[in-house]
Amino acid sequence: MLIKRGVAIVMVTMGIFAVEVAMSLVPKGDLLFPSSAAAPGEFPDQWIHGSKSAMDNTDPAVQVHRYNDHTYILRENKAINYEGAFMYVFFGNGVALLIDQGSTSSPALFPLREVVDELIANWEAEFDQSSTHLIVANSHLHGDHYAAWNQFVDRENTTMVGLTHEEVMHYWGFSNYPDERLEFDLGGRNFVITGTPGHQSSEIAFYDEWTDLLYTGDMFYRGRLYLEDWDAWAASIKRLRAMADDYPVSHLINNHIEMTRMPTVDYPIGTTWQPSEPPMQMSLEMLDEAVTATQVIDQAGIYKYADFLIYNEVPWAYTTDP
Amino acid sequence: MAVTKWVGFLALALAWLPVTHAHMLNMTEIQISADATSDVTVSVQIDLGQSALMTPESYWDAVSNPESAPKSGALYRALKALESGIEVVVDGQLRELALRDYRATATSLEAIKNPLTPQMADVQFALMGARPSSESVIAIGLKDTLDVPWPCLVRVDSFAALPISRLLTAGTRSSGDIRLDDSRAKPGEGYMVSAVLQLQAWLPSLTWLVVGIQHIIPMGFDHMVFILGLFFLSTKLSSLLLQVTAFTLAHSVTLGLTTLGYIAAPMHFVEPLIAASILYIAIDNLYSRHVAKWRLLVVTGFGLLHGLGFASALGELALPEGSVLSALLLFNLGVEIGQITVLLTAYLVFGWLQRWPLYRQRVAEPASMTIAGLGLYWLIKRLAY
Repeated sequence: MLIKRGVAIVMVTMGIFAVEVAMSLVPKGDLLFPSSAAAPGEFPDQWIHGSKSAMDNTDPAVQVHRYNDHTYILRENKAINYEGAFMYVFFGNGVALLIDQGSTSSPALFPLREVVDELIANWEAEFDQSSTHLIVANSHLHGDHYAAWNQFVDRENTTMVGLTHEEVMHYWGFSNYPDERLEFDLGGRNFVITGTPGHQSSEIAFYDEWTDLLYTGDMFYRGRLYLEDWDAWAASIKRLRAMADDYPVSHLINNHIEMTRMPTVDYPIGTTWQPSEPPMQMSLEMLDEAVTATQVIDQAGIYKYADFLIYNEVPWAYTTDP
Repeated sequence: MAVTKWVGFLALALAWLPVTHAHMLNMTEIQISADATSDVTVSVQIDLGQSALMTPESYWDAVSNPESAPKSGALYRALKALESGIEVVVDGQLRELALRDYRATATSLEAIKNPLTPQMADVQFALMGARPSSESVIAIGLKDTLDVPWPCLVRVDSFAALPISRLLTAGTRSSGDIRLDDSRAKPGEGYMVSAVLQLQAWLPSLTWLVVGIQHIIPMGFDHMVFILGLFFLSTKLSSLLLQVTAFTLAHSVTLGLTTLGYIAAPMHFVEPLIAASILYIAIDNLYSRHVAKWRLLVVTGFGLLHGLGFASALGELALPEGSVLSALLLFNLGVEIGQITVLLTAYLVFGWLQRWPLYRQRVAEPASMTIAGLGLYWLIKRLAY
């Protein structure tokens, strides 16, 4: 009797251990985003870049580029809007972050919602995920980056961060914008966020600890950097440089390409065909060049650098090249 | 198929859509200040010279000769078109706008004509007869006849701490209903979330009760098993109640003392002991026919032990400063509710079997052996860890 009971108790214990071992062998649904080494990714050799005649354009309305398994870069067709804005979808466990919504509102012309829904569905199927929550956020509050925001307002399981400065600050948790750095946990994928005003007064930059990508939105890209507030921009550039000192950066990524492959030469504003685009991603050397610019420039005007042009507090009217 | 259809549509659309039309510098902005119970204002920022409401020339004319701009002039007609074209519905009732003030500026006719240099006019309207409260619902729309530089950002400042934003486009001309006490219940977020938020706002301390319950069901599985261990020995309700009460009083004491900082116990010591207590109770069930008097003492001792366990779980949460005691009491009460729920459920499932002559042999003993097995499992795991 005593032995029987003892054996029964030990059997129960062993049974539980057996179940635990069996469970641990089943692969878990959790995706891991270690920050130890930069997760690699690839940029396309060429983005869709418009066409000589918009009528003949056969590219999709939105190009979806897979940088890596959980990082997607979207580009709006230049034939739909010359801005050719880039948008980003970052995935974490159970959650996706969409940064920016392009320059065109009409779902018929620019079906961003459809594209993002399909992207999420495909990603869920591939990585055994379900009911992914979508966060609809913005790098900054300019209409050419949230025109299709409305396409998402009636979406289930979605958080709309909002299009006012106060809503943006509240959502990310800024109490000392723009100076502070915030941690943001996207389903196990860690981001560091900081304020980068200068081009627009609600802009934020995202650093992804998994891919080591530093996303600089509209305040730093290969093109005409329109600055409404020089002092704020100079401080923001230095803030980005400090971020790159503290974290390893694989590439700087952003919102537009307006330069040609020739140093200091940009495509004229409104260009809908850019056959010779340089890459979108930028390097830390270019950021250093911008840091140098902040030490040199002390008055309004247009300043040309190899990879970007600074339009410091000049009216937008003068931005078209002669 | 879909692609060719789309390309066709695009070609059609682009045939009449000038490419420079769609830059977004001069988009329209409507701001509604509904944060007081009187005097709701509707402010509009609009690039009138680039809108369908007037020509750049007539806008420049009105700006450069403000004194001579007659009431029947183009600017006046444009403002009137805004006044009648913006529809604001408060609590289901359409309210009229009344032009209060405007500031039309421009640097030059050339600037007005250049879509890249928006020359915005600020126009202010009063919303007639509207007295919104924090309960109110507001909706902003633009009539089909009103064409403004799109898209149109709507910002509502209300009783809520944050403004509320909506985007109107040529395809979506209404904001839909906006609640003025918007508690960040965003579209797509469930009612449950907002209900919980409201409950929290209403009675913050109540959450500690819920936290307490959660520390039994489902998080405190080992405590649940211990309570079931007590259940499977006592067929008499009175003796069960006596044991549970002793257990409860004992763990309240250590939980309180630990949380308030009077005592401290290392968890790597407490956790295996809790597991051992489960094993002990279950084995005791197998060899005792009745509740021995000294078992009450043992249960009290185990209660002290389990209280240390609850305290460590509670320690991981930040207790509200200034109301530690009430939070502690509510947490403890929640733990008791959790325990009683476990016992009641056990009664519902097994109570009717207790008069069965084979109850002990077929129900209580196998259950106790299972509990002992679980206790042994936890003991090994916690010792190994």
